[in-house]
Amino acid sequence: MFDRIKARACGLGGLAVGALATLPAWAGYERIPGEVDTARGWEELWHEVMVDITIIGIIFAAVTFWFLFRYRRRSPEEEGRQPRLSPMAAIGWAIIPAFAFMADDFFLAAKGWSLWNDYRTVPEDRLEIQLESAMWTWDYTYPNGVRTFNELRVPAGKPILLRMTSRDTIHSHWIPDFRVKEDSMPGRTTYLWFQPKEVGEHVVTCAEYCGHLHSRMTGKLIVMAPEEFDQWYNEAATRIQTASSEQKGGA
Amino acid sequence: MSSDTTAAHGHAEEVSVWPLVISAGILFALPFAFALQFVYHNGLMAALSLGLGVPMIVLGIVGWTREAIGTAGPAEGLTPPAMGWFILAEALIFLSFFATYWVLRLSSPAWPPEGTPEMPILLPAIMTVVLVSSSFTIHWAEERAEKGDRNGFLKWLLISMGLGVAFLAMSATEWSHLIHEGFVPGSNVYSTSFFSITGFHGAHVVVGLGIFVAMLIPALRGTLSDGLIRSGSMYWHFVDIIWLFVVSQVYYW
Amino acid sequence: MATLREWIFTTDHKKVGILYLIGSIAAFGVAGIMALLMRAELSAPGPTLTDNPTDYNVWLYFHGAAMILGFQIPALTGFLANFLVPLQIGAKDVAFPRLNALSVWLFYAGIILALMTFIIPDPPDVMWTGYPPYSEISVGNTAFYSFTVLLLGFASILGGVNFLTTITFMRAPGLGWNKLNIFTWSTFAAFILQLIFVPVLGTAVTMIMFDKYLGTHFFTPDQGGDVLIYQNLFWFYSHPAVYVILLPFIGIVFDIVATFARNRVFNYKMVVYGGMGGIVLLAGEVWIHHLYVTGMPDWLRVGQMVTTLLISVPVGLLFIGLVGTLYKGSIELKTPMLYAVSVIFLMLIGGLTGIPLAMTALDIHVSDSYFIVGHFHYVMAVSGTFAIFGGVYYLYPKMTGRMYNETIGKISFWISFVGVNIIFFPMMMAGLAGMPRRYWDYSQFEGLEGYHQIMSVGAALIGIGFFLALINWIQALFTGEKAPDNPWGSRSLEWTTTSPPGHGNWPEIPKIAPEWHPYGYGEDAPDPVGGGSLSPAAARERER
Ligand code: HEA
Ligand code: HEA
Ligand code: CUA
Ligand SMILES: [Cu+2]
Repeated sequence: MFDRIKARACGLGGLAVGALATLPAWAGYERIPGEVDTARGWEELWHEVMVDITIIGIIFAAVTFWFLFRYRRRSPEEEGRQPRLSPMAAIGWAIIPAFAFMADDFFLAAKGWSLWNDYRTVPEDRLEIQLESAMWTWDYTYPNGVRTFNELRVPAGKPILLRMTSRDTIHSHWIPDFRVKEDSMPGRTTYLWFQPKEVGEHVVTCAEYCGHLHSRMTGKLIVMAPEEFDQWYNEAATRIQTASSEQKGGA
Repeated sequence: MSSDTTAAHGHAEEVSVWPLVISAGILFALPFAFALQFVYHNGLMAALSLGLGVPMIVLGIVGWTREAIGTAGPAEGLTPPAMGWFILAEALIFLSFFATYWVLRLSSPAWPPEGTPEMPILLPAIMTVVLVSSSFTIHWAEERAEKGDRNGFLKWLLISMGLGVAFLAMSATEWSHLIHEGFVPGSNVYSTSFFSITGFHGAHVVVGLGIFVAMLIPALRGTLSDGLIRSGSMYWHFVDIIWLFVVSQVYYW
Repeated sequence: MATLREWIFTTDHKKVGILYLIGSIAAFGVAGIMALLMRAELSAPGPTLTDNPTDYNVWLYFHGAAMILGFQIPALTGFLANFLVPLQIGAKDVAFPRLNALSVWLFYAGIILALMTFIIPDPPDVMWTGYPPYSEISVGNTAFYSFTVLLLGFASILGGVNFLTTITFMRAPGLGWNKLNIFTWSTFAAFILQLIFVPVLGTAVTMIMFDKYLGTHFFTPDQGGDVLIYQNLFWFYSHPAVYVILLPFIGIVFDIVATFARNRVFNYKMVVYGGMGGIVLLAGEVWIHHLYVTGMPDWLRVGQMVTTLLISVPVGLLFIGLVGTLYKGSIELKTPMLYAVSVIFLMLIGGLTGIPLAMTALDIHVSDSYFIVGHFHYVMAVSGTFAIFGGVYYLYPKMTGRMYNETIGKISFWISFVGVNIIFFPMMMAGLAGMPRRYWDYSQFEGLEGYHQIMSVGAALIGIGFFLALINWIQALFTGEKAPDNPWGSRSLEWTTTSPPGHGNWPEIPKIAPEWHPYGYGEDAPDPVGGGSLSPAAARERER
């Protein structure tokens, strides 16, 4: 009897360890180099995780419901009859679930890690924009010196990299539609990137409490057709040049 | 500390006013006084609040100690382990300060940062010798107490207290010297860490001396309370060990 | 009845516990009223109750700080621990009763300081997290924030010293470590966490105060300071703090479930050593999951993703123990049991939504959104509060010697249960849809109004539910039936004394027989107090 339990516990334990060892293989997240889209990756992974945790939740909840129903008290003097676990069974009931949970954790961790790598590796052909946040505006500076406030104009189809810092308190640049956010703070530079595919307008909002107008620190992300963007970009650049030369002339 | 093992069921309630007095005192002496002074810039009210709070704390501690003398119950022997737990908590305060200091220092482009004067080398060495020897003297005091030798205990306790006071005096001289040279807590990140770490350590020396006083009073009256003596000396050894970190990290590194 | 003097100057652990209960329920009431104000403000886009965002920020600051530091931690590690632990280990009192009284009064000092938020000029508006640089440049009184934390923290440390010593050295003769109630174990574990981590929080808020008022430069980048040090120190405490809440509330839920299922705890050693021990070991290695979007080094972010996910292992073991305790039990759904069982479901929702948050890449989107607010209300505000309420109902007969009203208890439970789901589930959806937290106004977003209105309705329901519970307790104090010593038929030690227990708890310290176990249902064992037997028939005989 005891031997049977032991054998069974060892068998299940072995199974769990085996499953664990093969994890890296089935956690493979198919990535096509050069064409990363973090927003899509986010959606897919989120969906998977939701399925995963829903299953776990339903299992636990269903068992609880069943026990509540099955073992309701029938007479006021009744006491529970939980069988005693043999030492092997007790250990098995600790080790096997622990390994099962761990297997799921490592599975999720591996998936999460791949997506995380996408979030942190920025494609080379990017447009790099400086962001300085301040109470309560977003100041963007483009490579050619053009500056905008609370309005981020970008061309569709190009990876956009924001290098961020802050003048005063901590802010967090969140573009809900693109599933990205990262804090900006004084004394450190942080970055985030995203790749808009289609022309359109999106909300940019501040997600880190930064003072009494925190809730009014919203801006706009305007994705333009590449040609339109180029036109705007060059015009804006000339405007600064004339403005600065006028200033020089005036001085 | 206060419960009487033989107390019968439904025995008269155990009461003590002192805990309430002390915490009210703390409320006035720390948050209220600090906020009045530094937030609302009302020095007079701050002084009043401090003047109300500090006597309450002192009164509370005195009252508590007197109540405790002679009523040493079964928990008397439990003070050393309790002190052990307390020391764990204290150690983490220092660990947080040190961790902060390490991060600031290791991420700083140049060290020492601008505005740091020449730091003394000899004085901290002397302070170390003084504090380490006080650890030995308090250990001897403890040994005497275990043997029931009250006079020997008093002698070594007083010597330890003298060493502690000497340490504080040296620390104070050093601070005033540095402040004189314009090196104040706000000078740079080094001064920030320097003053807060040495300051916190100094405050612990003061508390240690306070515990020594609490050991001294009953001893003068003729009773030696073992638990208190053992935990007091544990605390002192702890303060001493922390100093070794302070010296090696903050002065000589 | 004890006189007022005996209450205020008391050093008796049961009275101290009840003082903790009164203070923390007061904090809960006021912080709950702040929540209702917030919900009213958010019930429509644009300014509704107030057009000054600072008002909202102050309410939110008070709500968060008071709920966590003033309500849950004191209710769990103050009230429940004080009232139950000495009774469960068969001690006459804690090791240092006067120190215990000092803890409770320091706790009151902290509550008073927090409540002064509403009368001082420039109240703190730094949120319960108090991040610099904002907390250092705010015109609000950050010093009161720091001192509130320090006073409550100091009370916790003294409590920790006291309880760890008590549990280690003052167990009744024969009461081995493996015969402790799960709740006592959870208190032990929670206080270890408090002792290790509270000092770190204390240091962090002290540094804020030094920076702001004494001119130091810990967190001022232009002078070489670093703003992220604070966040690291803060979460190094505040993550373990969530387990300081989780452990005792799961502990009391275990005790309630075992009592109302009259059943042995499933795999006791796995629960204690695997579950609680595992949590204590892992608690300190996961704090970076609150800093996923702050630009911490990548290796730290993915490293702590793995440790955070692994927390599901010990918590999962606790769940198996909890659900397993129902197996072949004899379950009766009285009010305390309703609360306790609902914690299993609510904590599943809350805990499992922690899993996507733990995954760095997924958290990038939802961090600092209402999804987080939904997650932690489920896991803490709902599960924690329900466990505390269940605990109060459970101990009510023992504390007061009277029975509460079962019908009102059940009605108020169902109202609150429906209410919390109406408010906190839509919260998560609003977060996914892009609602950032700590917003006083959301008129710039489209499509969020519906969620917010539902939430506000739910908030009103919870208000009613909790208010009914409070009424029930107060009313039963005067009109409740007289309670027997052991109304639930429990085997554990706290029910062997009178209701309410006299001073010193038992005439003599109980003697624990080797066969006795606090969860030894279905077996016969000698009674630790009166001699005789512990079988239900014998117990009923004695009751007569
Ligand atoms: C009691 C309080 C409590 C508890 C217990 C928890 C438990 C957990 N929390 Fe939560 N959390 C908070 C209170 C709490 N939290 C608060 C207050 C905040 C916000 C603070 C602020 O910013 O103001 C927060 C925020 C927070 C964040 C930060 C989000 C952000 O700001 O960006 C994260 C990220 O990882 C997180 C994760 C988790 C995880 C993984 C657990 C785990 O412990 C959960 C484990 C439980 C389960 C997983 C369910 C049961 C297990 C099983 C059924 C076994 C099988 C399961 C698997 C194999 C997956 N929490
Ligand atoms: C244990 C903790 C706890 C509890 C129980 C609650 C309970 C509630 N919380 Fe809160 N909450 C937090 C902890 C908690 N919360 C934290 C930590 C934050 C984050 C803070 C931050 O961002 O810094 C937060 C933030 C938070 C927000 C986010 C605001 C924002 O980000 O802008 C909201 C919004 O709806 C909210 C709502 C509620 C509601 C409606 C309840 C309801 O469940 C409350 C119901 C209770 C009552 C209505 C009281 C009933 C009692 C009586 C009526 C008794 C009578 C009174 C007396 C006798 C005095 N909470
Ligand atoms: Cu900027 Cu919030
Ligand atoms: Cu956490």
